[in-house]
Amino acid sequence: MIYDCLIIGGGLAGLTCGIRCASNGLHTAIISGGMNSLHFSSGSIDIAGYNTKGEIIKKPFDYLKTMIKENSAHPYAKTGIPGVRESLNFITGKFMEEGINLNHNNDMNHFHVTTLGTLKPTFLSQESVFNTDVADIANSHNKIAILNFKGFRDYYPEQTAANLKKNSMFKDKEIILGDISLPYYLNTEKNLHEFRSIDLARIFETERYLPRIAEEIKKASGGASIVSLPAFIGIRNYKTIRSKLQEMTGKFIYEIPSLPPSILGLRLDNALKNSFINLGGEYIAGERVVSGSIKNNQVEFVTTRNSGNIPVQSKFYVLTTGSFFSGGLAAGFDNISEPLFGLKVKGENKRSKWYNSNFFDRKSHPFLGFGVETDSKFNPVSGSGKTIKNLFCAGSVLSGYNPVSEGSGGGVAVSTAFKCAERIIKEIKND
Amino acid sequence: MNRIETNVIIIGGGATGAGIARDLSMRGLLCVLIEKNDIASGTTGRNHGLLHSGARYAVKDHESARECIRENKILKKIASHCIEDTGGLFVTLPEDDPAYHRNLIEGCKYAGIEAKEISIRKALEMEPNLNPDILSALVVPDGTIDPFRLSSANILDAKERGSTILTHTKVTGVIKSGARITGVECIDLKGRKTEVYADLVINAAGIWGQEVSALAGIEIKMFPSKGSMLIIDYRINNVVVNRCRPPADGDIIVPGDTVSLIGTTSKEISYDRINELTVDDEEISILLSDAEMLIPNVRHTRALRAYCGVRPLLAVSGEAQGRNISRGIALLDHHERDGLEGMITIAGGKLMTYRLMAEKTADLACEKLGIKKECTTHLVPLPGSEKKIARKSRIKDFTGIPDSVVGSTLYRHGQRLHSILTKNKKNYRVICECEMVTEGEIEYAIKKLEVKDLVDLRRRTRIGMGPCQGELCAYRGAGLFQEFGGSTPEESVILLQDFLEERWKGMKPVLWGDGLREAEFTYWIYQGLFGMAHMDEVKHKKKKILNKDILPADAKTDNKKKKGK
Ligand SMILES: Cc1cc2nc3c(=O)[nH]c(=O)nc-3n(C[C@H](O)[C@H](O)[C@H](O)COP(=O)(O)OP(=O)(O)OC[C@H]3O[C@@H](n4cnc5c(N)ncnc54)[C@H](O)[C@@H]3O)c2cc1C
Ligand SMILES: Cc1cc2nc3c(=O)[nH]c(=O)nc-3n(C[C@H](O)[C@H](O)[C@H](O)COP(=O)(O)OP(=O)(O)OC[C@H]3O[C@@H](n4cnc5c(N)ncnc54)[C@H](O)[C@@H]3O)c2cc1C
Repeated sequence: MIYDCLIIGGGLAGLTCGIRCASNGLHTAIISGGMNSLHFSSGSIDIAGYNTKGEIIKKPFDYLKTMIKENSAHPYAKTGIPGVRESLNFITGKFMEEGINLNHNNDMNHFHVTTLGTLKPTFLSQESVFNTDVADIANSHNKIAILNFKGFRDYYPEQTAANLKKNSMFKDKEIILGDISLPYYLNTEKNLHEFRSIDLARIFETERYLPRIAEEIKKASGGASIVSLPAFIGIRNYKTIRSKLQEMTGKFIYEIPSLPPSILGLRLDNALKNSFINLGGEYIAGERVVSGSIKNNQVEFVTTRNSGNIPVQSKFYVLTTGSFFSGGLAAGFDNISEPLFGLKVKGENKRSKWYNSNFFDRKSHPFLGFGVETDSKFNPVSGSGKTIKNLFCAGSVLSGYNPVSEGSGGGVAVSTAFKCAERIIKEIKND
Repeated sequence: MNRIETNVIIIGGGATGAGIARDLSMRGLLCVLIEKNDIASGTTGRNHGLLHSGARYAVKDHESARECIRENKILKKIASHCIEDTGGLFVTLPEDDPAYHRNLIEGCKYAGIEAKEISIRKALEMEPNLNPDILSALVVPDGTIDPFRLSSANILDAKERGSTILTHTKVTGVIKSGARITGVECIDLKGRKTEVYADLVINAAGIWGQEVSALAGIEIKMFPSKGSMLIIDYRINNVVVNRCRPPADGDIIVPGDTVSLIGTTSKEISYDRINELTVDDEEISILLSDAEMLIPNVRHTRALRAYCGVRPLLAVSGEAQGRNISRGIALLDHHERDGLEGMITIAGGKLMTYRLMAEKTADLACEKLGIKKECTTHLVPLPGSEKKIARKSRIKDFTGIPDSVVGSTLYRHGQRLHSILTKNKKNYRVICECEMVTEGEIEYAIKKLEVKDLVDLRRRTRIGMGPCQGELCAYRGAGLFQEFGGSTPEESVILLQDFLEERWKGMKPVLWGDGLREAEFTYWIYQGLFGMAHMDEVKHKKKKILNKDILPADAKTDNKKKKGK
């Protein structure tokens, strides 16, 4: 059996590409080796948050022009600005079908509140995310409660409050800190103090607990009409849970992205997987591609960990294996490589050039910009210097951009993956 | 301005200063120990923690060798919870002079170090990762010693006996009355100044002893020798592995907790560079290729951190030429030497001779102060080492608490684990998974062990020292820090940032392999998710106060002159 499109890596990029291909009737498979960046992320999708000086970008689509002009190797230069918009429309549509509304602020960036009480510019967020609009809502009520689940060790509301108060938008707001708890939960076998966000999400997903949780929220929030919790109010049916809790408490309830595992990101991941599978895509989880064979400047086949020596074949391949921590890129003692196909990468050989001396350097770190080099069509170049026409690359395995300092991770993943899918669809149709 | 009066001032909270504080407190004197940074943050926290048997010195320096074996035996008794009695091996490689093996056996015999020759097969059984081509092997009573735990236990004892510890407080000047020193001036993190008056000032500032003595107008000359080390994320050996040849670069691998340490390089540096401690790529290459000769698969093991320290070697009798550098213990009575009463300096030595150094210093101090009390530090165990707890009773006492948690806590705090793992479930929730640090341990450290920031907390508990280098537990640690009243919530975020910067120093030289993966992940969390770099205005102000140079102008020109020559 030969696929039309085989995608290696099932993160935001792989899933976007897969959904686009499958929705066009292509026989598509995704091989995914485990957790992806969404499981750690804020669950918001950034397009462009900061300029090269680190200043905040208000209108990201306007700024993309500058970005492309300053850096012609940037992935956005290859997708084109309309391409970015089209891909985001496509993916928000898919999220909507799966019951997740990703909101933006009239084409402007908005700010979500971080665990530390700093504000981060982003473009698309779930409607439950605690963002600066809350400050406006709070104008008439003026009290905000920042709550935690008692004993949850992965979030400390005092820190959120302390830094939030320093921001002009929140400085005259009264912030109330408090804890909620569930008494009958304290008797469980498991040490409640070891609960992670996922365990708490399960509590919220248990319908019969909701009235009690609502009581707890009312008690802890001391008259505030706006309440924030770390992001753990359910994974699958969080929308219903949230509206029920809002109804029961008579308060607005928001979420703050906290330490991994990221519930906000897991929602996105689940939604995209569902969408892909519903479109007839084949999602092969817990599997890893271990090698790829290139012959006559074409990928001939790949092999996977569990398939033994049986090659897996496809007309087209898409590499969306992520950056270093997902395994898409590898750092040797004094070189950077792409481990599956040995593709040409952009990166320094001298180790001391990979990083800056301060961890939180204003200029970030060069290694974040390392990755696979491609031509304008996202086709990479093999070790022997030849373009590989049936292989495309998308997402954070790409070079030419720094997702953190630019605030562009999600946008690049979605738009490059979408572009690769478009190319593949076109070529298959022309066949 | 604050004013404190005491019997003795000790400058420097390394093992030496901590040991002196304990010794004098046990003899009934009240001390104020002043440390500009944290306990064990100087050279004491920057070595490979080898509890020498003395074999390393047995061929060339009998006096050091004898000192080592004597202290080795004492420390195994009084500091059992800080020591791992691993044993050590000296192995001869095909590249080495085979005659050295014999010389070493002779030297050990002469110094009273038990050294036993074993077959190569036996050595490989003991240490399966060892280079199979070795020509001979010798077993010696080397061990390992945790410098943080050791210093902290000494400090804890001194405090419990009435002494005062001022950490993050720097001595900036001396107070003189004629030809006599009567006290010191110091300044803390917040810029508050204090005058401390005492009958005697002890300079135990290690390599910085030159700076401190210069404050009193006294010249002593240190010969700084920098040594770099590499930590690998796997306990690749169970006993200390030494190369059987005259001491040189990259010839030792020391196991420690869950990791192994490759040591060390040696490079003379000029005195004005003792605070710029960076490890360069070349040193890392040397360490790896030398260690590979002893244990061939080191290179395939993930490197966790690289760091370096500066050996506090002192030139005796103020000679400028450096020929007469003492590698032993140097105790200077400035009354005798320079005609200045009220101050003594202790320098040189080793981590593992800290107790002996403290004893000698305290003897001199008592003599000067007319106190007739004998040293008892070799007899009385440190807090935490009072008695060994058998594994069985340990499990019985702490039913319901995972064995790994009990084990790690016992390992780090000895008997004091009873004040940490109380019945409250909250106390044993794990905050740092790599090192099994619990909330109870963190609370105990913040409240009892002079912890002022997250880096201090790491030294006391090992939080963030494991394979992930503090990815998630750093944040939790910061959260708990303010919860237990160690700081305000706002400050705790700044401490978190400092902590991550501190970790980065050791990580960046070893970024290959999984190092870069972890670094990328940590960066995404703290910068991508938390926006950490967008909030650093406040902190720089704070830092400036302490980084101000205290070298008097003339001491600096002096160093420049030396370089020019
Ligand atoms: C902590 C964190 C916070 C973030 N916050 C934001 C944010 O707020 N906004 C934003 O826009 N972006 C954010 N991002 C970035 C964004 O999530 C990523 O840029 C984007 O998700 C990258 O997607 P990807 O598909 O390219 O790679 P990944 O998500 O890394 O996925 C790669 C996948 O490939 C798999 N894989 C690798 N090798 C193989 C193999 N050989 N065989 C099979 N599978 C393999 C991996 O297991 C993984 O599942 C964040 C990222 C992180 C880590
Ligand atoms: C690379 C290397 C490897 C080593 N390996 C070993 C080993 O394996 N085994 C062993 O036994 N020994 C070893 N040593 C030697 C050992 O580390 C040192 O001899 C010992 O730690 C010195 O301790 P100390 O307390 O004298 O000095 P330090 O630990 O340096 O203490 C001095 C303290 O004084 C403080 N201070 C300085 N100026 C001021 C001031 N103005 N005001 C207040 N405080 C001040 C400093 O902050 C510092 O904490 C090694 C040394 C090096 C460099």
